[in-house]
Amino acid sequence: MSESPAALRGDRSIAYLALLPSAVLLMLLVAVPTFTVIMISMQDVGIGELSGRFVGLDNYVWVLTHPSFYQALVNTLIWVFGCVSLDMFIGLGIALLLNQSFTLRGIARAVALAPYLIPTIVAVLVWRYMFHDIVGVLNYLLMKIGVIEHSLLWLNSPGTAMLSVILVGTWKFFPFVVLALLGILQSIPQEQYESARIDGASAIQQFRLITLPYLMPIFLLTAMLRTIWTFHKFDIIYLLTGGGPLNATTTLPIFVYQKAFIDFETGRATATAIVISLILAAMLGVYFVLIRRAEKRQ
Amino acid sequence: MIDTATPKESANRAHLRQDLLADLQRFSSRFVIYMLAVTMVTAVGFPLYWMVVTSFKLPQELYATPTFLPVEWTLDNYRDLFIQTSFATYFLNSLIVACGATGLSLVIGGVGAYSLSRFRFFGIATFSRITLLCYMLPGVLIVVPLYIYVVRFGMADTLSALVITNTAFTLPLTLWYMRSYFNAIPVSLEESAMVDGCTRLQALRKVTIPLALPGLVATGMFSFNHAWNEFLFALVFTSSERNKVLSLGLATWIGQDNIYSWGMLLASSVLVTIPVMVFYLLVQRKIVTGLAEGATKG
Repeated sequence: MSESPAALRGDRSIAYLALLPSAVLLMLLVAVPTFTVIMISMQDVGIGELSGRFVGLDNYVWVLTHPSFYQALVNTLIWVFGCVSLDMFIGLGIALLLNQSFTLRGIARAVALAPYLIPTIVAVLVWRYMFHDIVGVLNYLLMKIGVIEHSLLWLNSPGTAMLSVILVGTWKFFPFVVLALLGILQSIPQEQYESARIDGASAIQQFRLITLPYLMPIFLLTAMLRTIWTFHKFDIIYLLTGGGPLNATTTLPIFVYQKAFIDFETGRATATAIVISLILAAMLGVYFVLIRRAEKRQ
Repeated sequence: MIDTATPKESANRAHLRQDLLADLQRFSSRFVIYMLAVTMVTAVGFPLYWMVVTSFKLPQELYATPTFLPVEWTLDNYRDLFIQTSFATYFLNSLIVACGATGLSLVIGGVGAYSLSRFRFFGIATFSRITLLCYMLPGVLIVVPLYIYVVRFGMADTLSALVITNTAFTLPLTLWYMRSYFNAIPVSLEESAMVDGCTRLQALRKVTIPLALPGLVATGMFSFNHAWNEFLFALVFTSSERNKVLSLGLATWIGQDNIYSWGMLLASSVLVTIPVMVFYLLVQRKIVTGLAEGATKG
């Protein structure tokens, strides 16, 4: 970027002054709490306490050697892998579909975006009702077409809970992928397809040789972003299952919440939160590399 | 048999057949597109359809075999919501928190973003990156220390605690989006206004802010949506019935279907969705493009 234009150069103090409130607020709400978390994670403190007995890295050792942490980690990986791969696959398919012109496309597009816009609590209530073992429409329909013989306890049995949660997560968040990819698809120059068609390229060849190269950088970027957000998602799982049954859907954020506000083991909770943040930081690093690469290619 | 057709006629016939084939192919590909679109709309839209339909059903119907339209349409669920529950209080609280956090971050973040966009100074790139990091931060990391501070400052169980803490996420978002909106407005416009005798503030008021208005609206919409949706902070910081926001209030009704019927829960879902949908319809174009660009362009 270039130097500031002449007319704007003098007002340096205004520039700092304008930024000050934001900086102070972010300092108080993000920087200080983050620092506090690091301090707390090395102490043995109860809930609501700022300082306790200094225990060094004991909390981290506990976290990294305790089976329940690894159970939560495995759950998180299943949740993230399930959601993100379905998000990306379905999102790509629907973006390609919505990129075709057909009558009433506007309505199809609005429907495809709706789940992303509705509040999480609404999605949760509707799906809990549909999953219900007695009055739920899902069991009713599946029994009617003969897929299942008797009602499933979707959210309440360890075997299906994770699957159900992933289903809701995918339904709620795939529209984000549609949005991101549709924007790119619509920016591809149509002439390229026309000349490819004249050269006798099939639809599949056109997709592979024209669409895919345009799509790939944003596709990876979106996948990375969704991975990060899905990784620390708390509300949708907590509201659907509370982490149960038998911890079958306890992902790392829920593990932290339970440790902090139910078991009152603040030190261990914050140590876990920091481990999560380190994992996320690594992913964010990859994200920045992908951004740079995408920018270079454009 | 001897083909009596002249070479010209047979060529014509071959041509005709080719046209027919092309038509058939076009027709079948249209058909496939429509089939896919209908499948997509049905699968994605069904939960929303089910929510709306169920909210108009009588309580006794909810436990009978599911029907795709209410046997008898009723507004009882909506009426009961306001008579029997604190729904109105929750709704008002959510409005206060969402509007408060949005207003706060638009004013503070808008000014900050203008500064970030118009001036070059030391550490600016780092500051921008940090704001993005704030937005990516997992809520469970800072919820523990924020809880401690909220209690220390006597703000436990207050709406102002929620307004302020929600800006931890809405402020970075505002800074990030508004900076790119301001970047898109040429500095030369401001400069020429200032050459014509405007002060910086006048130039800002008469030139820049009107041009940035769509950006402010779209950014405000994102912040509002975020705060309207927020659950973790509400869960940890507030507890009394008087201070519950919608996400927390409705969450406490879950599993109490002896008191709160599914009809009421889904009626409340419809009402909670309305403000978001109204906003969406108002600024549709802006959101769709803004969302995709904001998400994928660092």
